[in-house]
Formats: sequence, C-alpha cells, structure tokens
Amino acid sequence: MSIAAEVAARYEPELAKFGQTLPEDLAVAAAALEGRLSAEELDRWAESGVRLARRSLRSWEAAAEYFRAGPAVAEKLSAAELLAWGEAAGSLADRSSLVAAAYLRASPGALRSLPPGDVEPWARLGDRICRGSWKSIALATSFYQESPELLESLTLRQLSRLVDIIEALAERSYELAARCFEAAASVLAPLSPADREPFLEFAWVLTRASWADTRIYFERAPALLAQVDPPERAALLELAAEVTASAGRAGFPLFASAADALRGVDRAEHPRLIRFAQRLAQASTVAAMEYLKSAPIVGERLTADQMARWSDAGLEILMDQGNAEGAEAFFRLESARAERLLAQLSARVELTAVSPVLRLYAKALTGETVAVHPVQELEEKGIGWVAGQATTEGTAIYLPSAVSTFSDQRDNVQVYKVYATHQTGRIEFGSFDYRHGEPGAHTSPPRLPAGRPQTPRGGAERPEEEPDRALTEMQRLYDGFSDRSLISALFTVVEDTRVDACTAREYGGIRLWLRRVQEQAAAERPDARSMPLRSAYVEALLRTSLGNPEGIEWPARHRGLLREGIAALRIVEQPGATVQDSAAVAAALYGLAASLPNERLGGEEQWVAADEEMLALAPAMPGGEGADGAPQPSADAEGFESPPQPEFRGDFKPELVQLLMRLREGAGETDGDGRGTPLTAEQLQELLENSTEILISEMAEGDLASTVSLFLTNLERETNLPSGGEQAPVRERSGDGSGDEEEPADEEPAAPEVEYFQYDEWDFRAGDYRPRWCTVGQRPYEEGEIDFYEETLVRHHGLVTETRRQFELMRPEAFRKIKRLEDGEEIDLDQATEFLVDKRAGAAPLARFYYRRNKVERDVAVSFLLDMSASTDEEIDKQRKKYDEDDDFDGDPAKYFQWLAQRRSLRAADPPKRIVDLEKESAVLLVEALEAIGDAYGIYGFSGYGRDNVEFYVVKDLDEPFGDRVRRRIAKIEPVRSTRMGPAIRHATYKLTRHEAKVRILVLVSDGRPQDHGYGRDRTEKEYAVHDTKQALIEARRAGVTPFLITVDKEGHDYLKQMCDDIGYEVVADIEQLPRRLTTLYRVLAGD
Amino acid sequence: MTITHEELSHAASGRGFRRRAVEEFRLTSEPYYLPIGDEVALFEHAYREKIPVLLKGPTGSGKTRFVEYMSWRLHERTPEGATEGVPLITVACHEDLTASDLVGRYLIEGSETRWIDGPITRAVRVGAICYLDEIVEARKDTTVLIHPLTDYRRLLPVEKRGELLEAADGFLLVLSYNPGYQSALKDIKHSTRQRFIAIEFGYPPREQEAEIVRVESECSDAIAAELAKLGEKVRNLREHGLSEGVSTRLLVYAGKLIARGITPRSACQTAVVWALTDDVEIQRSIEEVVSSIFPE
Repeated sequence: MSIAAEVAARYEPELAKFGQTLPEDLAVAAAALEGRLSAEELDRWAESGVRLARRSLRSWEAAAEYFRAGPAVAEKLSAAELLAWGEAAGSLADRSSLVAAAYLRASPGALRSLPPGDVEPWARLGDRICRGSWKSIALATSFYQESPELLESLTLRQLSRLVDIIEALAERSYELAARCFEAAASVLAPLSPADREPFLEFAWVLTRASWADTRIYFERAPALLAQVDPPERAALLELAAEVTASAGRAGFPLFASAADALRGVDRAEHPRLIRFAQRLAQASTVAAMEYLKSAPIVGERLTADQMARWSDAGLEILMDQGNAEGAEAFFRLESARAERLLAQLSARVELTAVSPVLRLYAKALTGETVAVHPVQELEEKGIGWVAGQATTEGTAIYLPSAVSTFSDQRDNVQVYKVYATHQTGRIEFGSFDYRHGEPGAHTSPPRLPAGRPQTPRGGAERPEEEPDRALTEMQRLYDGFSDRSLISALFTVVEDTRVDACTAREYGGIRLWLRRVQEQAAAERPDARSMPLRSAYVEALLRTSLGNPEGIEWPARHRGLLREGIAALRIVEQPGATVQDSAAVAAALYGLAASLPNERLGGEEQWVAADEEMLALAPAMPGGEGADGAPQPSADAEGFESPPQPEFRGDFKPELVQLLMRLREGAGETDGDGRGTPLTAEQLQELLENSTEILISEMAEGDLASTVSLFLTNLERETNLPSGGEQAPVRERSGDGSGDEEEPADEEPAAPEVEYFQYDEWDFRAGDYRPRWCTVGQRPYEEGEIDFYEETLVRHHGLVTETRRQFELMRPEAFRKIKRLEDGEEIDLDQATEFLVDKRAGAAPLARFYYRRNKVERDVAVSFLLDMSASTDEEIDKQRKKYDEDDDFDGDPAKYFQWLAQRRSLRAADPPKRIVDLEKESAVLLVEALEAIGDAYGIYGFSGYGRDNVEFYVVKDLDEPFGDRVRRRIAKIEPVRSTRMGPAIRHATYKLTRHEAKVRILVLVSDGRPQDHGYGRDRTEKEYAVHDTKQALIEARRAGVTPFLITVDKEGHDYLKQMCDDIGYEVVADIEQLPRRLTTLYRVLAGD
Repeated sequence: MTITHEELSHAASGRGFRRRAVEEFRLTSEPYYLPIGDEVALFEHAYREKIPVLLKGPTGSGKTRFVEYMSWRLHERTPEGATEGVPLITVACHEDLTASDLVGRYLIEGSETRWIDGPITRAVRVGAICYLDEIVEARKDTTVLIHPLTDYRRLLPVEKRGELLEAADGFLLVLSYNPGYQSALKDIKHSTRQRFIAIEFGYPPREQEAEIVRVESECSDAIAAELAKLGEKVRNLREHGLSEGVSTRLLVYAGKLIARGITPRSACQTAVVWALTDDVEIQRSIEEVVSSIFPE
C-alpha cells in the first residue's frame, strides 16, 4: 500500500461521516501529493483537512475544496507553506466555512500571480472583510472569488488598499461595497500598471472624504480617464487625491469636470496643463482643478504662449497676493480680471465685441440702418439660408461669430472690417438693384441665350405665352438660362469682383486689408484640376477676382476661353460699373462656360496659369457670339457644381434678397406695375423649385408642399416684423465700465414687459468683479386697488398738508433778482447811490451796482428704491425680531416660485400694520410732496431670489407721469422675498444716469441687511453682501448719483457703518416716524 | 473804417490788432461762398423787400459765412456801386443774453450816467444787417424785443430812454438757429419764427463739399474728395449716437492739417473723431470709417 493510500485509508471512516465525496477527494489529492511530501508531511496535511471538516456543520465543504486545491497549490508552495495555507483556511473557517471554501477554491488561481510568501497576508485580507454578518461573508467570499483576476493586475499592497476602501465602504453600505468590488477588476485591469496605484489612492481619499462618490468614481473613472493623455493620468489622479483631501465633497465633481474638460484640449497640451495645475495645487487645489476645467474655453481663444501668460496672472494672484479665493474665481472665469486679460491676450475677435462698432460703421458706409448679427441667426429664420457663411439679406449683415484668421487681435478686427465692408458693399454699391433689361455703364443689357430653356430644374415645362411670372428682376435674368447654378455662380463671381473693386476704389484705407484677406482666401482655394471643366472655369475666374491669376490652373488647350473670361471680368472693375454690367458680363461668361464640356480631364493634361499677356488685358466683352446671345450648355452627365465661396465674401443670394425686399415693400401697398401683389403659392413653389439659392435645412424629399408652406410662413414673419433689428431696442451702453449692462436677447412677445439687464457683482475676497453675474428683470409693478392711496391721504391728512406746504416753500421763484453785479440789466439805485457816496468819500468801492433777473430752475431727479423683502412683512407692534432665513431653497428657483404662490394665496385679508405698509404710506406722502415741488422722481421696489432672479419693480418710472396707475401700484406693494441690494442699486443708478438732471439722488429704504441666496459663501455669511452693496453705492457716487440709505433696522448701525462708509445713511429709531422722516430727509438732501 | 477778409484772419492769428465800433464792420473783399441752391437770390430779394430771414441748419454748414457773403455782395449791387459791404453786426446769443445787452444800457461814468447803445440799436441806426447767431440760446424774454422790428413797423422801442427808433433803410434782421438740438427748452417760439422767411442749410453734396474743402483748406483735390466722402459717411451716423454730423468746417480744418503735412489719419482723428464725440464706441466706429478711407 502506498503512503498515499495509507493516509487516505486512515481518515476514510471519519471523512465519510461528513460527506460522501470527501474520502475520494482525499485519496485523489494524496496520490497527487505523494511525490512532493514526506509521509509525515502528507499525514499532517491530510489531518489538517480532516480538522477543517470537523470544525462545523458545513465546514466539510471547505475541506473538500482543501483536498481538491491541494495538489495545484502544492506546486507553488513548500511543505511548510502548504501547511500554513491550510492553517489560514482553518482560521477563516472559524468565521465562515463559506469564506474558507472560497479562499481555498481561489488559491490555485491566486497563486499564479501571488508569491508564496504573500499567501498568508492575502488570506488575512479576506479575514478583515469578514465580520460575521452574512453580508460581510458574501463580500469576503466575493473578495476571494475576484482575487485571482485582481491579482493579475494588482500587487498585494494595492489589493490591500482596495480592501481598505471596501472595508470603509462596507461600514456604510455592503451593497455599495459589493458593487465597487465587482467593478474593480474590470476597471483596474485596463489601466496601465503605473496608473493603478494613484487610481486606488484617489479612491481611498475619496472614500474617506465622500464615500457615496466612490461608486460613481468606479463607474465613471474609466471613461473619464480615457479622455486624458495616458502618461498624464497618474498625475491627474494624484492631483485629484490632493484636491479631495482638502476640498472634501467637492473633490470628485471637480475631478470629473476637469477630466471632461481635458477632452476638449489637444492631448499634446495635457502635460503642460497638468504640470501647471500641480504648481497651483501647492497653494490651492481648487484653483488647480478650476484651471483644468477652464482650459478648453481658454485654449480655444489663446495660443499656448498666451495661455501661459494668462495663467501666470492667476498664479500671481494666488502666490504673490496670497489670494486663494481670487485665484479660484480667476480660474473659474468668474472674475472680471480674468476675462479682461483673456480678451486682451486673445487674438480671436468675437463678433459681440465688435458688432456695436461694425453696426455704426455699416450705417456710416451705407447710410441705412444695417443690423449686424451672427450668421446662425439668419439660418434660424428658415428663409432660405443655411450655410454658416457671412452674408446679407439686404437690411442686415450676418457675420461669423468669431474671427481668428491672423495671430494678432488688431489684425482680426481688420478682417472683420473686410467682411463687413464686403457685405455692406453689396448694399452700398447696389448688388440687389438689378433691373432686367436695363443697360449698364459699360455694357448693353445681357444677351440671353438663344433658345428658351428646355427643361427647368423642377421638370415642369413652362408655357411660352406666360413669359413674366417672375417674382423678381433677378428671377427674370436667371430664367433665361437653363443652368441656373452656373449663371448664379458666374453672377456671384462677377458681382463680388465688382463690389471688391468698388470697395478698393472708394476706400483707400481698407484696400490693403482687403488685399491681405484676398491673398489669404486665394491661398486656401481648392485644387482646380480635380474639378469638372465648368467648375474649374468658375474657379479660375474666382482666382482672378481674388487678384491671384498666377494661381489659376487651367487646361492649356482652352487658353482662349480663360483669356476672354479675364478680359470680361475687367469690365466690372472699371469705375462706374453697375450691377447691370455684372449681369451682362455674367451672361457672356455663361456662354463661354457653356461651350465647355463639363468633364474632368485626365492626368496627362497640360495646365497653365494666367500669363503676362492675360494680366495686361484690356476690359472687353467676349465677342464672336453674335447678337443672338450665347448657346445653352450641352446636356452633360455631370451637373455643374459651384466651387466654394471665399469666406470673406460668403453667400450671395440676390434673387432671394430681391424677393424679401419686394415682400417688405409690398406689405400693404400695390403700385402700378403689380409689384406688391401678394405672392401666390404657385409662384412661390415655382421659385422654390427653380431657385438655386433657397436652401432650407428641413427640406424633406418629396414633401415640397409642407416645405413651401413653412418657407412662406417664415418669409411672412420675416417681412412683417421689423427686419434686421431695425426697430429693435438698441440699448446704448453707458460709458462707465463697472456697471456694464447688457441686454440679453429678449424678443419673446410672450413676456413683453420684462426687460433684462446684467450687472457685475463685487467679490470682495477675489478683489474683483464677477462679470455679468446678476440678471435684473425690470417690470412694471402690478396694480392694486385705488382706494389705498385715497385712504392714506385721508388718514394722514395733517401730515400731508404739512409736507406739501414745506415742499412748496422749496419751490424756487421763477425769477430771482441777483444784485451787486458788475454788469447787468439795470442799475440798482440803492447800490449806485452807495457807490457814489463811497467814491466821494474817497474810498475805492467796487463798481457792483447792477442787478439782473435770473430764471432759476430746479433740476433734481430722485429715485426711491423700496426694499420689498419678506422681512418687511414683520408687524411693527411686535418687538422686531431678527429675520432668519431658515428656509433656503437650495438654489432651486422652482421651489421659490412655489413658495411665493403659496404665500400670496395665504395672505390674510386684513393684516396688521407691517413695515411694508409704512413704506407704502411713505411713498404716498412722497408722491404728494414731490408733485408739489415738481422734481422728477421714480419709485421702485426690488426683491427676488438668487442672482438670476433679481426683480426690479417699477412703481413709477422717472419720466412716467403720475396718475391712477401709479396710485394703484403703490397700493399693491407687498413683501416678496430676498434683498440683493447690489444689483438693485446698480440698476437704479443706471436709470438715474440716463435721466438728465443736475442733481441725482438715490434713496434706498430698507429694513435690514442685504441678503439673498448665494449672496455670500454660505447662508450665514454676511460680509459678501455688505461688501457688494458698498461697492454698488460707491459706483453710484462715481456715476454722479448721491446715494442715501434709510433703514428701520435698529441694529442697522453695525453694518451700515461698514457698508456706507462716508455715504449718508440714517437709522429711523421709531418706525412709525418713517413717512415723516423720509420727507424731511428729502428736503435736506435735495434742498439747495 | 473797413476791414477785408484777409485782415480779419490776420487779426485772428494775432498779427494785427485793430479796434473799431461794431457798426463799422464791413467786408471789403468777397468771402468764399459756394452757393448750393437758390439761397443767394432768395436772400437778395428778402433784403430788398425787408423781410427778415431765419437761417436754419446744423453747425458748420455755412450759415455765418453765407451772411458775410451776402453782406458783401448786397452792397456791391447797390446803385452806388460801392466796393464795401453792408455793415454787418453779429451777436452770438447765449443764455444770459438780456434785452439790455441788445438794446443798450446806462453806464456810470464819474458821477454821471451815460447811455450806451446795444448792438441791435446800432444796427437800426446805421442800417446794418443784424445777425443774431444761435438765437435759441438767448432767453425767451429777450427775443420778444425784436418782434416790432420784424414786421412792417420796423421799430425798436428803447424803454429806458423813452424812445422809438425807426430802422434805417439797409437794416435787416437775420437769425440763425440749429434745429438739431431737438430740445423742448431750446426751441424757437412760434410768435418769433413766423416773422421770418427761413432758408434751410444742409451739408453740401459730396462734390460741392469737396470743392469747398479744397478751396478753404488748400489741400489737394484727392484729399478734398476723400474728406467729403468721410463727411458723408460720418453724417450717416446722425441719430445713431451722434447728435450732429461732422461739419464742413471740421472737414476744412482736417484739410488744412493735411495740407500742412499731418497724416490724413491723425488729422481726421483730431479734427473729426475726437472733435465730434466723447463716446468711445462711436469714436471707434468713426475711426474705422477713417481708416477705411485713408490708407496708413
């Protein structure tokens, strides 16, 4: 009997009690191990298995795994290690035989990558996870199950870190831990070995800082990291770990958005960006991440060098000024400094930056109101334009939203000018004024091809007897040619040539830049050799027109045609050439092009450029065709396709523009020749079918009818509405830079009365403005009952009469006699006598004995800004409590509006007297008084929630006459929500500065400190709001407005002192005195 | 005592100095004026018929020059064939201009008072053209004073002296005003304005303006043409931030600078862009127009 058989036989009886297969398993294993182990060792090994089986009811299963795995494990382990392996299983089985079984089962696989010495630590890892509960057992089991795969990519140390994470997560949620665990192998395996440790370290930090994010991290990290340049991933992860260690819960979102942002940046740039972020991280990890987040936005506008200069400025704020908040705002692009610098450094020029200037420029050049819009806007109108190229539709010019042709900002402004000049040139030089059949300055009317077109593009045969159904003059011209695309392309080239020539002649200063842009465009022309002949012909003409005849590629055997074409183009370059000439030349060129077969030439063809002789050609119409006009092109297999237009010339659609102009003119009036008659659907359909100009993105195959109706609707809307922003309100910007107001596109008729303005907000920590941070919505206030006003007058009868009288005293006499003048209307007898007496007495009196009557005018404008925050709801009788803002809406405006509606509905029918009621009464009193004195005054209320919802209510506008509407609005004043004072003050200031007056006063009536959602770092912070308000007050004073604050908050002194500095303020101790105080105060403020 | 136009400009440049009574001012040589329409004939007839004239138009459009030209031209046409112009008394109105500033006042001299005639009184006495420039600037109560002078009576009451002056033959009242201000405060009263025939002055068409600029500034034809083009373009901006277009006068200044060797761009910068507006955006727009027209 072999040793193995002996051992098997020895334990067989006992093992048989635990399970049928155990003796067999042992026998097989013993036989396999016989050669490796001594008899004694084998026996100890077998006994260890038996002990395992003995431990608990189900531990025999573990024993079975023990026997089965034994031979495979023994291949890697020494005898002693093998026994230790078994011991470890034993201690695991103490906790759970399932775990022990999993451990044993996984061992052979794990040992493929695990060094023998690490077996025991590995076993202990699972032990750590197992806490006795069934969930922990399941987790530990899956740990061993996954181990073989995990160990293929992780070292034991890394695996141990993973266990740390799982363990920490398990304390919160086993499900979460299990899910991360399951994901771990598939996440970690694809990572490069060097990235795994940083990955786990970040996960570890993240787990401690914000455990719930760990799962999302495991799920999203592979995709996020895939966006990053591989060698940089480890660095980014390390950075993320650092950030999370300091920023806590913000860590993962910052990492995710930084990684996302990096996708938008060229990979070659990643190392540079991450190096810089690492530098920033030394002082502010948040700044580092914000930097990465902003990288694509900044990178799009700046070159690498410029970006380095830009980021150095942020670094300086961080390091030299030690202002971490400032640097974070800087890199978050929420700082005016950052934006300014960006704009300064960037070579790219945005249309928004130049459009006000270009608008005036276009207006100056054409003498007409020409709006300037980005090209996208025209496309959205759906009236036939789709391509995103510069163009004009006759009343407005459409330009690309940004230009970065050259590396210098000033150069790009010039490029914009060239674009704008070309488009306005079409208007100025009459590109859309074509009248069919009229001669030009240098040519006779275009000779149409001999035969009528056989088959228009739409396919329908057009009857001869109905010759003039054309909607536009252009259409009449185009209808004469069977290939509309060809004539349209030729006309475009010729007309653009003419416009450029006119521009160069008329505007000597822009000639140079036009030339540069033309050269640039010429350098980007496509290869003509691959084009069919007719396209190549148009291309050759285009290059001539761009002043680059040397660049022409043209087959030598058709040299004559090129020669004739160039000479023909010269015609429109002559002074005085009109669009009629362009049409005639285009028609002649059509004849030349049509004589060519539209086919691609083989490679053996000889290509030539324009030679000396062609360059010196005199303007000449192509001859020889005879008076009958050019031939129609032969039918070809390949249809004509126009080469692309140079960018600065963009789209040219004279037919469509003429149609639009006709529709605009025709609205309402019908003149003699039938222009202005409404379009019929058939006419339009025909136009749609035939015109090569109308492009509609939604144009569906076979669905012409609906396309036509959509197009028609769009056209109608376009031509009935004021076009091109002609009547759209154009808000002139005030010269002051700090209170920039901009009007976002607000042309929705649905909310006609709300006007939006944007203002910067002062971030005192960053020491800089947050650009366009707050949106102020200005709206006329709702109207209430008229009774309130009258009732108040009755109730305060005495006070009203008194203030009126006092105010009337302030009213200046119409003419005031000014005495003691050296020169004046008349001699003042008393003074003259005195003068003579003095003189006789030998004194040397001053000859001041004239007087004059001077007209004295009061010139005061005042705005009252009433705080309509919720706290004004406070009843006066109760001792004033500090209003606590305990129900913040977590930045959710929807909740706020819900709350607002609820609150309004809950308003009691007859509330006790509140602060707001006093504000209302004061308003009534002021109105009475001010009407007596005749000063211009406005009454406004403000409230809102959050920076995007600052509400500015107009109770009475400065130039609005007083009347019942104002009375009703005053009655309606009631508390709303928050007190974001800064933007309200800025807006009130803006309104005052637009009002002409010598003295401008802004009186802010409030009941407490400024506060609002997000008006500070967190809810409790008050500093931020106070600083912003102070800044807004200072801005007001700089703008020539005298601000004054009046508050009923008894504790107002502490913050008012800080907020107002040397700006006037007053705390009204007795709230009931507010109306009286306000009027008295006004007399002091506005008196002379 | 008379003065030639050249002498006037000498005086302006500080080389010569001369003192004379206002009513003695006459032009002795023809000032440059390029008629744009029939304004010369109109004025001549008005003068003969003693109809007061109101000149309307933006600043720098040649109103004052026209009056000067007419004062010279009218006298040449008189039967005597004198070489000197009709006396021309110009009063620049301002908001403190009072009735006694126009009519006259008593001065104290030693221990006596002495009466001093105001410019309008002098014009009435000598039969001069009395030109009240920018009449809307004057106080409203002042303008009522001229009413009796402007109708058939042609009388000037001098209340302080208890006199009634009847205007001498050559007397004609000419007002100028600039409707561009568009301010309710600065509008001319209807009772006043309906006593005058009005001649409208606009900026001249491009070719004529070029001619004016060329003659006045002695710059080259080409520069004058470009300046006139600039003027036309900039005037397109009126009502778009610019309350007034660039005046011919400014264009002449630009032309003079250019003729003296200043580069066209900087001449236009000083004489047009900066002179016209303080609004940075409009400045930039005009700069772009200038740089489009004049090469560097």
